[in-house]
Amino acid sequence: MIDLSFLNAFADSAFFWSALIFSVACAFTGLAAVRLSLKGEAVTSLMAISTFTTVAGVSLFLISLPELFNVGFARDTAIALLVVGSIGTIIFARLFRTGK
Amino acid sequence: MQIEISVIIYMLAVFGFVAWNIKKGSFVFDPSKLIPILIFIAVLSVAILASMGIGLGIATTTIMKIGAAGILFSGTLPMVAAGIGLLRFGDEYGVNIFYARNHIGGIVDCVSSLVMIFVGLLIVRLDLAAVGFFFFMLLPFTSNALANSYYYTYQGRANK
Repeated sequence: MIDLSFLNAFADSAFFWSALIFSVACAFTGLAAVRLSLKGEAVTSLMAISTFTTVAGVSLFLISLPELFNVGFARDTAIALLVVGSIGTIIFARLFRTGK
Repeated sequence: MQIEISVIIYMLAVFGFVAWNIKKGSFVFDPSKLIPILIFIAVLSVAILASMGIGLGIATTTIMKIGAAGILFSGTLPMVAAGIGLLRFGDEYGVNIFYARNHIGGIVDCVSSLVMIFVGLLIVRLDLAAVGFFFFMLLPFTSNALANSYYYTYQGRANK
């Protein structure tokens, strides 16, 4: 019989480290987006902030998982960031286009 | 120690495969063949584990979690590449560099939403998959609205 404890430990460890490394990559992209938003013009800043909300939302959703850190309230924050961030980006882009 | 070494080998294998795809500029293996092969390998692994006396539910959960880890590892490299692209494409490339940056932002959105969908399905967290799917449906409209807005505001400034 194969050693199930090793397989379970490998799956848990692989998922933990993969989510952690993905979160670090999201943080790097988020920092690049913040830098772009500070030096660009209005629509570029809007695009960079949209990217930042995306990576922040995904990172928050990942840390809310019970397999990782089990931070319960991060899930609601992540949903709000992802949904409202996208809709707000569309609305502000329309506002910028009309120029009012 | 053995587990950590196995995780590192798994991570390097996935990173190597993704880097090979990026270096080639297209898919190394056609996705219409690769995805059924991966699903077949997962089903075969579950069947082998179940035939060795492990419960079917535990075997399925374990294999799906390993698959979710592989998807998270495979999303890391495009995310880092997008961050490097956002840092490197400066204003010295002219006004049309916005469209390249918008494309990079679209890659970040696409990787994020696909990771959320597939990881949510594989670890059976349907809220994660549902939010990812909603975001996946919304992101073309976001990118289009941004590009449209930039085009017309730039056009307005050029006319003035």
